[in-house]
Amino acid sequence: MLAEHYGPSASQRLAESIANLGTMGRRAWLGLLGVAVGCAAVVALLNVGHSAALQSRQLFQGMGSELLVATLQRDSETPAMTAQPPQLSAVSPLLISAAPLAMAPVEVRLGAISEALMVTGSTPALATVLDLTADQGRLLSEHDAHNAYLLLGAIAAQQLQASVGDQLQLGRYLFEVIGILGPIGYNPLLPVAVDDGLLIPLQAMRRLSSAPQISAVVALARDSQSVRVAADELAGDLRMQLPGAEVEVQVPQQLLDGMASQARLFSWLLAGLGAIALLVGGVGVMNVMLMSVIERRREIGVRMALGARPVDIAWLFLLEAVILASGGAVLGSMVGVLAAWLFAWLSGWDFALDPWSIPLGVVSALLIGVFFGLQPALAAARLQPVAALRDE
Amino acid sequence: MSAAISLEHVHRSLGGEVILGDVSLSIAHGQSCAIVGPSGSGKSTLLNLIGLLDEPCHGRVLIGGENMTGASGAQRAMMRNRSIGFVFQSFHLLPRLTVLDNVALPLFYRGMPVPRARCAARRQLQLVGLGARMSHRPAELSGGQRQRVAIARALVGEPQLLLADEPTGNLDGEAAADVLELLKALNRERGVTLLLVTHDPAMASHMQRCLNVRAGQVGDAR
Repeated sequence: MLAEHYGPSASQRLAESIANLGTMGRRAWLGLLGVAVGCAAVVALLNVGHSAALQSRQLFQGMGSELLVATLQRDSETPAMTAQPPQLSAVSPLLISAAPLAMAPVEVRLGAISEALMVTGSTPALATVLDLTADQGRLLSEHDAHNAYLLLGAIAAQQLQASVGDQLQLGRYLFEVIGILGPIGYNPLLPVAVDDGLLIPLQAMRRLSSAPQISAVVALARDSQSVRVAADELAGDLRMQLPGAEVEVQVPQQLLDGMASQARLFSWLLAGLGAIALLVGGVGVMNVMLMSVIERRREIGVRMALGARPVDIAWLFLLEAVILASGGAVLGSMVGVLAAWLFAWLSGWDFALDPWSIPLGVVSALLIGVFFGLQPALAAARLQPVAALRDE
Repeated sequence: MSAAISLEHVHRSLGGEVILGDVSLSIAHGQSCAIVGPSGSGKSTLLNLIGLLDEPCHGRVLIGGENMTGASGAQRAMMRNRSIGFVFQSFHLLPRLTVLDNVALPLFYRGMPVPRARCAARRQLQLVGLGARMSHRPAELSGGQRQRVAIARALVGEPQLLLADEPTGNLDGEAAADVLELLKALNRERGVTLLLVTHDPAMASHMQRCLNVRAGQVGDAR
């Protein structure tokens, strides 16, 4: 019966819903704003998570994907390794260079200034491995092995207000500053923060500690492809040279993999927070639409009397909810990107747009609009024309 | 030829109270018919059942020979749109729409393109003497003019049946007489079956037939 085309066209439905929203005024704006806040939260948080992950990836990549760090753990009966440090010059042809690290916290004095700093003893090869440069003075050389010379990290130099030629008191000994290193930044793979500490020749560590221990070896592989093989060779060689020591070699990729999974978890947690905000926005849309249905019962009755089918009434209200959600999604996406950019800027990060953030934010806002608009739309469609017309 | 309206043993009750009990009646095509009776007697319920705005508890309602008993909400809506025009006491125009779009609304639901629907609505408004008021909002019109807009809206779909529930109830004497004349002319010239609920015996006397509703029963008053 009467099966041919019936009902307004899609463009008519859309135009009518937009016009209806226009008459709702401030209430429609509030509904839209609720969704916009939710969508902005999703987009902003996803982008903040993405930028944070990228930032830490950059940090790790900046430390060099060819870097290897071997940590050494030894029992107390093994003699001090600094007495006979491992020979690292010919460990593997895959390594450019390798340097041992022995560390100790020391009270450092220069005039009236006193700071507790970490002193690292190593060989000149460390400069090659970590790409160290001297902003002032020079780096350590092979000839300095038995001298009381030191290099200051960039931040430590500022803290101590020291310059090249100053004599710093480390424990009971005076060391001469022969160079101030350029900043290299924080490298989470390294067991030492170079900028915050001091570098001295490995042999000189014996002046600060009776039995200084080499706790790590840092090495630089020729290329990132051979890092894992080089790591195995380094581990094998160190185990041979240092029997009784536990050797574990870390490569940046392992940390990057761990970080990537952590970043994913972080992003999803933030997206979850955004989703909660979006849900609250959806409840706002539902509230606006339910109020609208209650206020327009008579209109619904008139439309039904004139030939609107239940599905036509449902579309009328559902489209209004979807338009509110769409407006909120567009506004929210823009605000979200802006907020994430601002956050990245304030944090000193590079802003990176997560390619999924806007599609996810928009689609979830639209789904929220449909989900929360459906119930009021169905309530309107289920009204009996006679009951709706009777409404005063 | 089948009747314009047939009710067969129609029963309607609400909350246990019988509003219409076992009503059977038939109204011929092109007939004008008044429905009279005291307040609360079931006149409007009868009109709503005929207009497919309400459903009977028992019995059959046939419009133009088509049995609408058990029809879905969509089928009833389409039948209302194509065959029935409504004129309500309080006009029931949509305040947001212009007079032209109020009149074109039934044609929008019929799926007619907007320009064609507006063209038909314009013609209908000219016929009821409101050609100069098309872009006005209902709130800018007098009561009589609003009811004329409502009549134009009821007629724009060229229905076979026009149902008017106290169409002059909110109008002063002169405007009421105008509206009555318009309805009579439509019945006479277009052959539209006219059903008119009224409290006014004078208005009822203008109809060819008069049905009296009393205590849920419907009978011919003349």
